[in-house]
Amino acid sequence: MSEPLQKVREFILERNPKLDEIPDDLDLIDSRAINSLAFVEFIFLLEELTGEAIDPEELDLDDFRTLKAIEARFFTQKATL
Amino acid sequence: MAVREIEPIVLELDRLEQMAESGYYNPYTMFEWPDALEPDRPWMSESLTTLAGTPMWDELTREQQLALTKYEAINFFSLNIHGIRELMSEVVMRIHERTYSNVSEFLHHFIGEENEHMWFFAQFCLRYGGKLYPAQPTLKAASVDHLSQVARELIVFARILIFEEIVDHYNALMATDQSLPHIAREINRVHHQDESRHVAFGRMIFLNLLKQVAGRDPEEVPVVAEYLESYLQYSIGTLYNPAAYRDAGIPDALALRRRALAHPARVQAHDKVLKRTRAFLSKAGVGRELIKR
Repeated sequence: MSEPLQKVREFILERNPKLDEIPDDLDLIDSRAINSLAFVEFIFLLEELTGEAIDPEELDLDDFRTLKAIEARFFTQKATL
Repeated sequence: MAVREIEPIVLELDRLEQMAESGYYNPYTMFEWPDALEPDRPWMSESLTTLAGTPMWDELTREQQLALTKYEAINFFSLNIHGIRELMSEVVMRIHERTYSNVSEFLHHFIGEENEHMWFFAQFCLRYGGKLYPAQPTLKAASVDHLSQVARELIVFARILIFEEIVDHYNALMATDQSLPHIAREINRVHHQDESRHVAFGRMIFLNLLKQVAGRDPEEVPVVAEYLESYLQYSIGTLYNPAAYRDAGIPDALALRRRALAHPARVQAHDKVLKRTRAFLSKAGVGRELIKR
């Protein structure tokens, strides 16, 4: 796992003391591991880790649903054309 | 909207309705808007900025400090506007439902006054700041779906009440801060005046709905307490807007935000802002001491 993704994992575990681990395909939103009140903080964390701004009006919720999706969207080197 | 599981809300609101009627004013004509604000005055009380009391404030140049008061005032008023949009839409969807028929008279005053507050907050931001900050992203889905219908109803009014109480803490202090431009002081003063009625109403309806939740299932009360504590923390977090830091010319906005939120002087400041609300929630039997970890 990449180092930034580890930070993401820590953020979620810290807010969910009842979770021991987070499967890569756990739906973080449906399971309320990230609820609406934590979502803003979560966006700020991702912005800080990636150094890229996330436009709140453009975001696609599916990019945030699972650790796998987050890694693919934010922490995987984009293929160059 | 299905609210049949909820008992009709009956509250003694005569006094609040009389006050709303006798204190009615025309917001569109009552303020004198200067063309510009004095450049050397803060727009928000310096002691209420998100860096107050920390070395991060002292490290700023005077220009950055003044710019921070400016952009945090715009952020504060923008939060008011988005908060009012949310609460108005919730209340509009309930007014003249059977559950709320006994309180509809007051709800009319409430919606009307909130619309007027939104107008003067937006006037201030657009005239002097040239913009509003956008609402922060939210997840519409899920986070209270696990609660009963009456608890979800309680949360709707609890969010309104908490938002109003936090804002009022700031308004009350800025209403008399002589360092602010006159118009900034006035907006805070007028809002503080109206909000005292809204907070009184908010507390009454909150207690009514909480009693219904506890009567249906006392086990649900700690779950509500946990949500409310998260909402308090969330609300404090919204005051720390990285966009305001960037606009004030302060670098590393996100890291600064993280450091500021956790700074002991700020944690103490947050406790002060939330003190009255937390005392109310505890007295009502839904304070954070109930949260099961």
